[in-house]
Amino acid sequence: MSMEFATFPFLTAILTSCIAGLLIILFIPDERQVLIKQVSLVFSGIAMVLSVYLFFAYDKGKGGLQFVEKVLWVDSLGIYYFNAVDGFSLPMLALTGIVLFTGVLTMWELTHRVKEFFAFTFLLVAGVFGVFMAMDLFFLFVWYDVSLFPMYPLIAIWGSTRKEYGAMKLTLYLLAGSALILPGILYLFVKSGLNTFDVTALMQPGVFTPFQQKFAFLLFYLGFGILAGVWPFHTWSPVGHVAAPTAVSMIHAGVLMKLGAFGVLRVGIFLCPEGWQYWSQLMALLATCGIVYGAFVGLAQTDLKYVIGYSSVSHMGIVGLGLATVTVDGLNGAVFQMFAHGAMTALLFSSVGYIYERTHTKMIPELGGLSKVMPVASSYFIIAALAGIGVPCLASFWAELLVFIASFRVYPVRGTLAICALVVSALFMLRVVQRTFYGQKNERFAHLKDVSFGLGIPRMILVGVIVLFGLFPALMVDLVQTASIPLIQGLPR
Amino acid sequence: MTWTLFIPELYFAFTAAAFFGLSLTAQPNLRRDYLAAIFLAAGGLVVTLASVRLEGMLFFEAYRVDLFSQVFKVLVAGGFFLVVCLCSELNGIDERHHSEFFLFLTTCTLAMMMLVSSVELLTIYISLELSSYSLYVLVPLRKGEGVDIEAGIKYFMVGASASAVMLFGLSYLFGVAHTTYVAELIRVLPGVITTPAAILGLVLTLCGFFFKLAVFPFHYWAPDVYQGAANQVTAYIATASKVAAVAIIMRMVSLGGDSTYLVHTLMALSICSMTLGNLAAIVQKDLKRLLAYSSISHAGYVLIGILSMSVTGYASAIFYALAYLVMNLSCFLVVVKVAADGSDLQIAQLAGLHRRSPILAMVLMLSAFGLAGIPPTVGFTGKFLVFAAAVEKGYLWLVIVAMVNATISLYYYIMVVKAAYLAEPEGNPSRLQVSAATRVLAGVLVTIMVAAGIFPHRILELAKAAARSLM
Repeated sequence: MSMEFATFPFLTAILTSCIAGLLIILFIPDERQVLIKQVSLVFSGIAMVLSVYLFFAYDKGKGGLQFVEKVLWVDSLGIYYFNAVDGFSLPMLALTGIVLFTGVLTMWELTHRVKEFFAFTFLLVAGVFGVFMAMDLFFLFVWYDVSLFPMYPLIAIWGSTRKEYGAMKLTLYLLAGSALILPGILYLFVKSGLNTFDVTALMQPGVFTPFQQKFAFLLFYLGFGILAGVWPFHTWSPVGHVAAPTAVSMIHAGVLMKLGAFGVLRVGIFLCPEGWQYWSQLMALLATCGIVYGAFVGLAQTDLKYVIGYSSVSHMGIVGLGLATVTVDGLNGAVFQMFAHGAMTALLFSSVGYIYERTHTKMIPELGGLSKVMPVASSYFIIAALAGIGVPCLASFWAELLVFIASFRVYPVRGTLAICALVVSALFMLRVVQRTFYGQKNERFAHLKDVSFGLGIPRMILVGVIVLFGLFPALMVDLVQTASIPLIQGLPR
Repeated sequence: MTWTLFIPELYFAFTAAAFFGLSLTAQPNLRRDYLAAIFLAAGGLVVTLASVRLEGMLFFEAYRVDLFSQVFKVLVAGGFFLVVCLCSELNGIDERHHSEFFLFLTTCTLAMMMLVSSVELLTIYISLELSSYSLYVLVPLRKGEGVDIEAGIKYFMVGASASAVMLFGLSYLFGVAHTTYVAELIRVLPGVITTPAAILGLVLTLCGFFFKLAVFPFHYWAPDVYQGAANQVTAYIATASKVAAVAIIMRMVSLGGDSTYLVHTLMALSICSMTLGNLAAIVQKDLKRLLAYSSISHAGYVLIGILSMSVTGYASAIFYALAYLVMNLSCFLVVVKVAADGSDLQIAQLAGLHRRSPILAMVLMLSAFGLAGIPPTVGFTGKFLVFAAAVEKGYLWLVIVAMVNATISLYYYIMVVKAAYLAEPEGNPSRLQVSAATRVLAGVLVTIMVAAGIFPHRILELAKAAARSLM
């Protein structure tokens, strides 16, 4: 067994904290709900602190892969337990940690089958963390699948609004995606002739012929793209978001969809750069369709969660457009957008979750004037909505700006279309804000209490993140650049 | 001393004799029969494990003991032991017949052990028939209103036809190669494999084993027999019997060299089995019928490993056989315990299982996701290895078809999980009494399912060594 640990194995520690949380919860009796929540809080807290620590501890001057952990796993197939982080994965890890922690806090009032809920959540998040840190294709795929199947029970048991349909649709769609990814991975494994699943070895120039790259990239783009909500494979996403319980919507829209975009980046773009260049036109087209389509369909929705669901389709389109530009700015913007959208959507779902639990409705016409009843809860939603529109000083502004600058240069027409769609999405977000939080107060809800300080903590954290990266975008861009510049420079001319 | 090679088989012959003796006593004694079976089966597993490294030839070169055969003997003996573990409440079978039940289970196991070691066509045929006839008796042993008889007759009819087809194929093989020894056939056949007689002979011979594995188009018996036989018998047919069939199919396919005819035939059968099994499983209401169709589709996945005809391919098929054995036994553990009165188990009857018995619900969920090929279970690792071997040979499209099939299969496995975890039962059924022994068994099965999925290294090396001794 060859081992290589540069420092304390932080990445394994993150995974371990999730799996330890899962195992400990399994051995606590069902009735001790508070204890289960406390344990969940502690372990999700550890995971968050570690992942945020790594975000700041990464040496930007040195760049490249850091915090490397590599252990030979299956000799004959060249499978390594290989974890490492770079400028692309660190924002994602930090995001996952933050969303997990705030998600656990958001679900503090849960009373129905508490033990199973947190157990499945930890399993799901272990898979998500695993994908973001894995540098071995086998493990990447294993973690990817591990993160998908807990979604079914999470949505089907604790969800609402056609939950069983939504859960089944989501699970089948996402696993249909992995039906393309696994053959793609095996194809590259065999064609490389290197007998290894190590990404760093397979991404060397000249390992794959242009044809192989084009073919495999298409498999990865479609396979992972389903999870990233790429139009026209996005239909599972609004349905799934709506059906899922609050914390799961947060994790799902906040982190899980990023898994798809990250998969396209880590597997598709890293291993098949020529395939990326070849298919970038198609990617840009589908991404623009998603942006425009999401914005217009969102305009017609009356269910708060559907509104957020379609705005996610639109915003994930921006990520896709950024990736499709094949430029440094585009990549920076795409990764920044993944992070910003994750924090923003988590905040949106968290706020809607609070409102839904009190009012038992998420239909916009039934609400109204909520800002007079629960001003604090409303303001969280409004901040997130403003972030979604791309108001300056909030994180999404910079992300969208970077993507649009890049796409204007490469795809002027599609870039313009996307910006126009952004105006539409601003319109529908503001319309939602106006009808839900202002206007005539609905007397039915007049007695409801506003969000307390304790329950507000998760939202405060998310607002803090959105504002921090809105004011200091360099924190993010400088980090992502350490990965995007070498990637673009390494492209064949 | 060459007879030491034959010790596992002798042990099982002795066990069969012991049960024959017990069946002669006038008063049935359930406790005694069960304890005897448990101890003898455990002893059988130990003896087989101890003889894993033996090698040699017996009976005028007709019987070969090597790593390949011994690994499969361990799997068969392990399957037999685990099925016997499920027999603590054998309510599906008349009390007077318990010792006969164990007797025929043992003879069947003995026959399968001989089957995986036989390297001469007539020996293979005799072993196959011995195992089949034991099962022909076991299937209608069930207490019931005639469903069992119908299943028994169906099984017998399809089995007898498959045997006839197989004998016809064997005659062709003999006609082409003028020998019944597999070692000779391996030398002669690749030279003449392009002649219609040789390829037809080989494919027809394989039909007899396809019947055992329930590969399309010899799958018709599976749903009815699974449903009609007692739960424990079904568990045995679904696990140990399938494993032995995988072994002998591998042995026969390796005769064909790299014949494209054979590969294409197997590919077609594999795709048909997977697709038909998965689509038909979707509409099933009875859990055992669902498992029957799922076994048809899994036969298709195993064939992918076998038709790759490489060391990695055969090794992956061996690994898959192990994975399948463990996952299916876990499913049947739940079937046997939930339907404690020995009746058939409808999927709807699983409702509320997560409250009635959390541990059984967990076992069911893990094995269902395992059968669907979701990591980190052994089912995923098995599929991964099988598909890797196929892609290595360039059969990428076959793998994509198989992956699409795996996605379809996820639907009905999720329906099972949904019944156990989501559906609310009518009334308020009591908690299931799960004995400590069952908990241990469940724990062991779950551990194997997860551990072998995450750390496949040692098993894979063993499977590779076994596959090499086949080539």
